Amino acid sequence: MYAGAMNQKTAINHVLFERERGVYAVEVTPDVAHIAVHVRAEQGRTEDILRVFRTLASASIPIFLIKLHRAAVSFALNAQQLPEAERCLQAAQFAYSVRPDLAVVSVIASSMRDLTGVMVTIADALQEAKTLMYGVGDAHNSVQCLIDGERVEAAVSSLKQTFALEEAAHG
Amino acid sequence: MGKILVQKFGGTSVDRDAHRRMAARKVIAAREAGFEPVVVVSAIGRAGAPYATDTLVQELKKIDPTTPPPPREMDMMMACGEIISTAVMAVTLQSMGCPAIALSGGQAGIITDGVYGNARILSIHPHSILKALERGQTPVVCGFQGVTTITEESEHGSITTLGRGGSDTTASALGAALNACAVEIYTDVDGVKTADPDMVPDARTLKECTYAEIAEMAHLGAKIVHPRAAEIAMDYGIPLWVKSTFSDHPGTRIVGDAEVSEETRKRITGISHTGKLAFIRLEIENEAHKPIVQQEVYRLMARAGISIFLVSFSPTALSFAVSRDVYPIARDLLDGMVVPVATNPKSRPLSHFYIFKFSEGLDLAYRNQRPLLHSLEDFIEVVDVPGTAFEYGTLVSVVAGNHRQVPGVMLAIYETLTGAGIPIYQVADSEMSVSCLVPENEADRAVRLLHERFGLSGS
Repeated sequence: MYAGAMNQKTAINHVLFERERGVYAVEVTPDVAHIAVHVRAEQGRTEDILRVFRTLASASIPIFLIKLHRAAVSFALNAQQLPEAERCLQAAQFAYSVRPDLAVVSVIASSMRDLTGVMVTIADALQEAKTLMYGVGDAHNSVQCLIDGERVEAAVSSLKQTFALEEAAHG
Repeated sequence: MGKILVQKFGGTSVDRDAHRRMAARKVIAAREAGFEPVVVVSAIGRAGAPYATDTLVQELKKIDPTTPPPPREMDMMMACGEIISTAVMAVTLQSMGCPAIALSGGQAGIITDGVYGNARILSIHPHSILKALERGQTPVVCGFQGVTTITEESEHGSITTLGRGGSDTTASALGAALNACAVEIYTDVDGVKTADPDMVPDARTLKECTYAEIAEMAHLGAKIVHPRAAEIAMDYGIPLWVKSTFSDHPGTRIVGDAEVSEETRKRITGISHTGKLAFIRLEIENEAHKPIVQQEVYRLMARAGISIFLVSFSPTALSFAVSRDVYPIARDLLDGMVVPVATNPKSRPLSHFYIFKFSEGLDLAYRNQRPLLHSLEDFIEVVDVPGTAFEYGTLVSVVAGNHRQVPGVMLAIYETLTGAGIPIYQVADSEMSVSCLVPENEADRAVRLLHERFGLSGS
């Protein structure tokens, strides 16, 4: 047990321990596509959504940023898998719309859900960068925004300026 | 000097003499094994116990129930719980033949910022701890607290508390400052479970976990190591262990991604649930104006200090969740709110007024505001934004490190829950998890079903 500790230093360390409060990084995931598949709004909605997920799973296509809407289910996927996803959805006779050439810009924070105003700050920063947000996802440590791939540079720059981040974003 | 081992004991491990003696035996066993233990303790017992933090806070609150006590004095009061516990534990160790010394957070050199009630550790100057170890004493340090150092904003030596999970945070931070070989978090369960054992009695104890898994599970409601503590351990590469004070079970080892097996990296880690949430949906029919209107909604919530999450928008709707305790505030703020929109600000300053309307009975402000806009309708289009809310939701989450690379995770979740008649109102996913908003009264069943679906039961 604890074998790695034999050479420990006993010198006094003065350390800044905890992560910064609030937003501390912006990250980019390039080459993402977004699909909204139309489903029935009331009766049959659950079955339709299930069929969408089943269609994609059986084609081994992982999806993320999944959102349920009244008459649609939307999700993001790796752009390389877009042709296969479209082929499957067409074969299953789904009506759908696609936005290719997108990227996910993630704003990272410690305890995001304890913070207020992050969403409006992001929206303002993206508006400042003339960047539309096509979808959004949030987790305990991030808000993920789906934007045009070609607007990434402007968006990241605006977000970094807004959140006073100095280091370059990394993907 | 030997290998330093930080051992943290939670409230249930120190709540009575018999338990403290069991905890003390873990410390003595570590000394006998050649380690130099540094002990961190929480306050004695949980809510209702005479020296528990909640009990102490009530003493201040009942002085004037109409005015919340000042945060500075509140922190001073709350810190007493750990001070009492530390003194009691140190004397218990002494009585069992183990030389020990009690140290408050300040005496242990824990320096924080000046945010009372939720302070962050800025630095640790562990002279007293190291001196005690040199003398052969086991330092017993108060968890959950530190002191400020002098700045323009704060007085010197003010007692602060670290907020939720503070004692775990103290243990991890001390582990980092002392370059400890490991940090052991002792509790009343054998380790990290695949689900809350109160909900799933056959939940399995995980042998190993990554820091990221543990942080995700903790954020999503699992009552294990606090995520702040996991983050510090991750950033400083200190192995964490979750163990039981009351058994000899080896517990769960928590380490970096590179140190776990491929199998661990690929697995479904566990099922957790958290939160009492209300889910609000607003119909904004005009796709062109929707970004402006939704931005004003975000702004309004931010101004009121309300966190929003599970945000989702389609071309004609915006939906999000808020904590249920602030839902009435959110709803009352939205009801009757008017957002002016200019289609072409240069030629025509205002073209639309969007006014928010909740369902019958919840639309008092709307009913007062709406008639005032009638006289403007010849010049400006007034558009109702219908709002609906589902008030009794909770998040049930599947923690899975690589679900974004694995097809079918969402299918399995959706199939399992809807197949059992449990509606899913919305979904949120991160790199590490997929969460579903479900009715709160179905949370137990949802956790059990997903636990079974992903084959997490067993020894």
